[in-house]
Amino acid sequence: MLKISNLHVHFDLDGTIVKALCGVTLGVNLKETLVVAGESGSGKTVTALAVTRLLPAAARVTSGEIYFNGKNLLLLEEDALRKVRGKEIAYIFQEPGSFLNPVYMVGDQIMESFLLHQGLPRVEAFAETLRLLELVKIKDSRRVFFNYPHQLSGGMNQRVGIAMSLACRPKLLIADEPTTALDVTTETQILDLLCELKSSFGFSLLFITHNLSIARRIADRICVMYKGQVVEEADAERIFCSPQHFHTKELIHAYQTIGTQ
Amino acid sequence: MNKLLLVGIAIIGFLSAAAILAPFISPYEPSLIDSASLLMPPSYAHPLGTDGLGRDLLSRIIYGARISLGIGIIAVGISLCIGVIAGSVAGYFGGLADSIIMRSADIMLCFPTFFLILATVAVLEPSIINIMVIIGLTSWMGIARLIRSEILSLREREFIQAAKAIGASHYGIICRHLLPNALGPVFVNATLGIAGAILLESALSFLGLGVQPPVPSWGNILIESKATLGVAWWITLFPGLAIFVTILGFNFIAEGLRKHWGYNA
Repeated sequence: MLKISNLHVHFDLDGTIVKALCGVTLGVNLKETLVVAGESGSGKTVTALAVTRLLPAAARVTSGEIYFNGKNLLLLEEDALRKVRGKEIAYIFQEPGSFLNPVYMVGDQIMESFLLHQGLPRVEAFAETLRLLELVKIKDSRRVFFNYPHQLSGGMNQRVGIAMSLACRPKLLIADEPTTALDVTTETQILDLLCELKSSFGFSLLFITHNLSIARRIADRICVMYKGQVVEEADAERIFCSPQHFHTKELIHAYQTIGTQ
Repeated sequence: MNKLLLVGIAIIGFLSAAAILAPFISPYEPSLIDSASLLMPPSYAHPLGTDGLGRDLLSRIIYGARISLGIGIIAVGISLCIGVIAGSVAGYFGGLADSIIMRSADIMLCFPTFFLILATVAVLEPSIINIMVIIGLTSWMGIARLIRSEILSLREREFIQAAKAIGASHYGIICRHLLPNALGPVFVNATLGIAGAILLESALSFLGLGVQPPVPSWGNILIESKATLGVAWWITLFPGLAIFVTILGFNFIAEGLRKHWGYNA
């Protein structure tokens, strides 16, 4: 359903051209979990942001195509693109706290999705929001609705972030290291929650991480990136049984070393 | 809430209440001429004395508060509207829009504002509305710069990207996500702006190009006192004191808000 082919992205930093992506090709199938793994700076996040053209102003897509359900997202008008963002492709970001606007109660921010894309009346949007908060396993949803982001823990904020992204029942969810800022227990809870929601909502998941132990838990397929290129792409099983590229081996080695300590 | 803010709010609250309730609390009509009591010093009948035409000074100062505070607030309202729109468009879109808007702000800043206002009021007629509009049109640049710089730093924050990612429009991002986070320092600045506008109006009135008599404003009461300064100190003292206390009140509120929110502007 998502097909990125030969994507090149350059950053123009005051005249110096930095090649962030050099010909990335990858695809996400319906209801599949694709994990994009790689070290920092390998272009995982740039790839994710490029999908709905959320890249910073200094970045430029120099060539390549991104097809989502038959539409070329790189050629789409701004208005049409806005209808894709949030409604069809939604994001979960790394720092749960800073991705919520500090001046609004978290409930209001989840409601914004309903009001933007579905035009629900406020009363219904409120009820939907409470229901959604319960779906992401927040127990006293009524209290949390009226909390500000700084009053909630990282794990709670990430649940709110997930609720926000699922509000419009997107077909593809892009999660950019959603558990990196969380502790291990919370990480497990969030991962379990994501897997559970994935089967009940039926979205495809593009999950970005540098941590292969997470990849092993959730991935159907894994795609390893290194220096702006996809160096290896295969079923999760195959990656762990017989890694081909040396960077894949490094990543596997990294988490095994930590595991044995 | 700190003491400064409370004192400021108390002063401005008191003056605003006096201005709003003017017809009920002022002891006389502000333009009632009483030829039997010219230049009377403060007494029981006239708590702040009377002027050269026998008009009650207290009543004139209370009615003057309506004009002076009104001009301050409306002029700053106008400059807020222009400044917020100009600054957020410049800061959010950047590029050509930014260059055009900020260069026009720079050009406006090059004019000596007071003489620009003097000249404009001299050509047009010095009505209250004209004075409000002209002060507003010549004082938006500071607010625009402030908003622009706030938005330049806010638009790089993650929650703006998150708002884009759920499909918010430019308008929605500016109004719902950027401005509420940028308005704090602007309120501080606007409060100071009200004080500035009141001073400006007093200065204009003092030069005879402000609010025209018989409508009382603090500035034009002051100029009328000039002729009788030698014999009637109260006509100069009390309107001057009113201006002083008001400016102080607004400055207290601005400083108090700044401390309350923890800005270093």
